[in-house]
Amino acid sequence: MKMRRDPRSEREARRSTGGERPRFSLMVLKPAVGRLRRSPRIVRQAATVSISPRLRIAWNGRVAPQASGAVLAARAPVETMRVVAEPAFHVLVVPDTDGEGGLSEIDRQLIAAGRSLADSGGGAVCALALQGGDDLGGAGADRVIAVTGIEPLAYDPEGRTAAVLTAIAILSPRHVLFAETPDGSDIARRVAARLGERLFAGADALEAGSDGDTRALRRAQGGSLAQSAKLPRLVSIMPDAFPLHAGLPHEGRPLDEVPMGAADRRISASRPLTVDPDTIALEEADFLLSGGNGVTDWQGFADLAEALGATRAGSRVVCDQGHLPRERQVGASGTLVTAGCYFALGISGAPQHLQGITRVGHVVAVNTDLHAEMIKRADLAIVADAQAVMPALIRLLAERKGGGDD
Amino acid sequence: MIRVAALLSIGRHPASGRARRAGLDARGLELALRMPNAEVRAFHAGDPHAASLRDYLGMGLETLNVLNVAPGCDPVPALVEALRGVGPDLIICGMRAEAGEGSGMVPYLIAEALGHAVVCDAAAIECASGTARVVQGLPRGRRREVVVTLPAVVLVNSAAPAARAPAFARARRGRIVPHPVEAREDAFLAACEMRPWRARPKRMAVPSGGSAQERMKALTEAKAGEGRLLVNPVPEEAARAVRDYLVEKRFLRGAGDGDGRG
Repeated sequence: MKMRRDPRSEREARRSTGGERPRFSLMVLKPAVGRLRRSPRIVRQAATVSISPRLRIAWNGRVAPQASGAVLAARAPVETMRVVAEPAFHVLVVPDTDGEGGLSEIDRQLIAAGRSLADSGGGAVCALALQGGDDLGGAGADRVIAVTGIEPLAYDPEGRTAAVLTAIAILSPRHVLFAETPDGSDIARRVAARLGERLFAGADALEAGSDGDTRALRRAQGGSLAQSAKLPRLVSIMPDAFPLHAGLPHEGRPLDEVPMGAADRRISASRPLTVDPDTIALEEADFLLSGGNGVTDWQGFADLAEALGATRAGSRVVCDQGHLPRERQVGASGTLVTAGCYFALGISGAPQHLQGITRVGHVVAVNTDLHAEMIKRADLAIVADAQAVMPALIRLLAERKGGGDD
Repeated sequence: MIRVAALLSIGRHPASGRARRAGLDARGLELALRMPNAEVRAFHAGDPHAASLRDYLGMGLETLNVLNVAPGCDPVPALVEALRGVGPDLIICGMRAEAGEGSGMVPYLIAEALGHAVVCDAAAIECASGTARVVQGLPRGRRREVVVTLPAVVLVNSAAPAARAPAFARARRGRIVPHPVEAREDAFLAACEMRPWRARPKRMAVPSGGSAQERMKALTEAKAGEGRLLVNPVPEEAARAVRDYLVEKRFLRGAGDGDGRG
């Protein structure tokens, strides 16, 4: 650190004595003495309380500042995981079994709902790993129970029911949470019937009761009434009713594997059926090929739908002209579709048509008009004649199917 | 000859709230009536004077057995008793009721009491000797076929064929046979608090992290398409772009097998 320069004392140091007028020697340099020079950077660093998430400087010194930048960098070790070592009770979460093996959105919501129940009384969330236990801890689970002897992806509601019953017998949890999805709700009801307990089916929310207990809310009487009751042991939870776990990841410690238990299997075989895409109802279809006024070759349109494995649909104009039946019409006066992918050929995108595709995941559009609304809406927009693109796409898909490489 | 029991409930129109035949139960009755070589018996637990029961008779039933269970009472013991007397191979009903609690537990409790198998989400049923092939209608139009050993309870969902319209003359002609039964009050339901349902605000995924400005932007900015745009490409180039996009988003079947390209 440098000393603060004092030009007056430096000048006095150079003064030569004796003479009529004052003289100063330029050669004499005495070391500067006095106060230390003030470094604004060091002062600022010393006053800095925190750098992230935002810079905070306490100039008044009321907040105990970090001494220097080096200390700021070496913070106290941050807690990276929450551990519930001695839980007061368990909440068993049965993830949805409908999926490709990973944790689905509803599984994470289930674990988060279990988390809120467990945190209210010092409990632990225990997730049943029916199909691999990846990142159950990150989703908020304290414990993971793997089940041996179960086919991870097969349709086996009776085996899964037996597995859940075994886990309930071992853990004796305070609450068991199921997903109210096609397969999850089936297992929930099988377990409830086997145990002879009441299932609170399709809980939409949890709320605090007047006497401090947790009450659950569901829709009854065709959805017109809200039915609330003190939370029973078995609860199934509606999708999108609970927010995801946002806090620190939990331990996700694997417990001892449990055997599946004896299952009385009456469902002996199951296999997925291949479905003709054109028999799927429009609002259920996942992949729609939709034709509009820009399509004239309807045989080619049908061939393309078959090559893509897509369900055929059309705009109002097309259905009015009779090229497609009325139940294939997409839009405000037709069907509001929920497809994952909507491939629009020669559709300009009237407002009524766009209303029908608001809940679509991905839109691919081919249209001749660059300024069409459908081109603005699309994720992949191609300004071209749909009649020319259709045969090219059929050829490309046929090449691919035949194993040829272009 | 296969003995089929159809469980029918009284539905509720979602908009007007008026009583009607329950949609899923009617679909179940439709499946039962379409089944070749089947002897169909129908059961209802509730008020024998309900007018909407005539709609089921109008679909082609000769008689409808009504177990006179008072409102608010548990219908399961009475139904189990009645079904035990019939000994059906197949019990068909809808996934859940439109009125009342609508928890969908009744068929499972009946199956548990009678020791029957349960298959849910049925869209079609085909009976062979001692087994039934049930096609399940799953979300997104998928179908799954399962083979179940009879006797079984089959739960019908909305993928099943639509119910036929009731014929007026048949509805007049059909007989409703009331059976007096003892039923106990459902204590759980009586203890529940009921109030009109009020729509809850839709839950938004609030982004954590980032500055306040970034969080606000993430919540408020419109999610437009990705906006990839090709202007006047040659048809082959356009086709390749579409194909690659569909493969990337996994909408093309058999995508990527035996194909080394990205």
